[in-house]
Amino acid sequence: MALLELKNVSVHFAGLTALSGVTFDVVPGQVCAVIGPNGAGKSTLFNAITGYVAPSQGSVRFDGRNIAGRAPHIIAASGVRRTFQNGGVFGDMTVLENVLTGLNQQTDSHPIGLLVNLGRSVIAEKEAVQKAHSLLELMGLSDHANRVTADLSSGQQRIVEITRALAAHTRLLLLDEPAVGLAASERDHLMTVLRSLAEDGIAILLVEHVIDLVMAVSDRIVVLNQGEVIASGTPEEIRSHDAVIEAYLGYH
Amino acid sequence: MSEITPAGASVARGRYAIVLRIGALLALLGVPLATNDYLQYVVNLILIYCLVAVGFNIVLGYIGQLAFANAAFFGIGAYTVGILMEHLAVPFWIALAAAGVVGTIVGALVGLPALRLKGYYLAIMTLVFGELMRWSYIHADKITKGSSGLPIPTANAFGFTLGTDTRKYYACLAITLFMLWTTRNLVRSRIGRAWVAIRENELAAASLGFSPALYKIAAFAWSGAVVGIAGAMFALVLGRIAPESFNLSQLLLHFTIVMIGGLGSIAGSVVGAVILTSAPELLRNFPGLEEIFFSILLIAVLLFMPRGIGGLLMTRMAGMRERLFRE
Repeated sequence: MALLELKNVSVHFAGLTALSGVTFDVVPGQVCAVIGPNGAGKSTLFNAITGYVAPSQGSVRFDGRNIAGRAPHIIAASGVRRTFQNGGVFGDMTVLENVLTGLNQQTDSHPIGLLVNLGRSVIAEKEAVQKAHSLLELMGLSDHANRVTADLSSGQQRIVEITRALAAHTRLLLLDEPAVGLAASERDHLMTVLRSLAEDGIAILLVEHVIDLVMAVSDRIVVLNQGEVIASGTPEEIRSHDAVIEAYLGYH
Repeated sequence: MSEITPAGASVARGRYAIVLRIGALLALLGVPLATNDYLQYVVNLILIYCLVAVGFNIVLGYIGQLAFANAAFFGIGAYTVGILMEHLAVPFWIALAAAGVVGTIVGALVGLPALRLKGYYLAIMTLVFGELMRWSYIHADKITKGSSGLPIPTANAFGFTLGTDTRKYYACLAITLFMLWTTRNLVRSRIGRAWVAIRENELAAASLGFSPALYKIAAFAWSGAVVGIAGAMFALVLGRIAPESFNLSQLLLHFTIVMIGGLGSIAGSVVGAVILTSAPELLRNFPGLEEIFFSILLIAVLLFMPRGIGGLLMTRMAGMRERLFRE
């Protein structure tokens, strides 16, 4: 059963149509990539799913509930997490602190308890630190836990952002161009990470320009052009799809 | 306890920290032995400005909002205590708590426009609010006694009369340490991390499942509480409060303390409060030197340590970075 269902989603900005009648599903345990030329509406699609833009029409259903037009933090709290194209890490924080912010809603500490160091709240805080450490270990970032995030390479910062997005009970992960600025080895690491997350049952929606990575990691690909879905299918189907070749891949 | 450091080292470090803390506390308790009345009064002011700066820093440094209602929070705390004690004969400790509560409420209310306004607009709006409050103290002279100032009755606490500067010092010390401790606890929790996250990237913060609006209001509310409490102590220490104590030059002093201490650093704010509160008093016998001292200090800070004393300590000394979590 689909975890995320988009039905006829349109977004208009002051007369400009950014998305038009977009319909597709994302299934748990699958990596679904959205590709398309610049200006095709990929980022708008992400923003419409995560609440940063309200769809003008259509429905966005996550786990059966319509989330279209709800506030970003409410959608995020329901298990939808995203990364940002320009990088959304908090540069002044350490890597560990970044990951801890992702655990904010899972940290069961009460404001009054925090103020005066009451036992239960302190324990909840310490448990969050332990959990963040184990997540960092899982993602190969343990050595950098106490480094200021801005000092890391852009590839490492991407991984920090993904780790932070995963910290909660994430069921749908949206990654906006995670491979930008990654070295080849980091890119391989990212692919391994994405595949193992999918195996754990997380649904992944990916916007990416690095087409080799998309073809290698995706179960399904959705092709956007001028705000419309022009094709969707397996990597093999997309590779041989005439309209896609014409609009995007650019070879014959 | 950290798993990375060997347990022995951690215990040793813990013991060292405890010894250091007990030593610091004994030194603080012994301060009145080394002061005369005037110096003691200056030390009391330092305690007040520690809270003024730390409270302001929450808004400016931690959540990164350009809001300048700090002198207003300070005045509201002071006048809450003054009005309750002078007109209603409320005991000091209750008036103090009331100043915290009123500060919290006013802080939250001032935080509301911050949900819509940013940058200069928020700065102007909060400045106007501060001036409006000062105007109110002057013109509500039935209860504030206007420009001539409101006298504060001598406070009593648990059977002691808080009449001398030394007694006021012990009351202020307890209050200040408690407020610094609670503020540090907040900063080192999910709340402090959410504040810094919002400062760093509000859009990304919203993607993590918590409401930036709620945490902004919380930051303003706590800032209002801390600075309101500082205002209450101000009323206690001065014995008389007047509208001119909460004007723009007072705000400028608050701002300078925070900037010199460093945005987002509690220790920096404390150091900044010590320097900027004591210097004018120590330089009082040398007319003109005060201005030169402030100018040189500000220029030096802006040129050589744009993140203030706290920022300098954090980058130059290992382990001095103020963490946003507990181990």
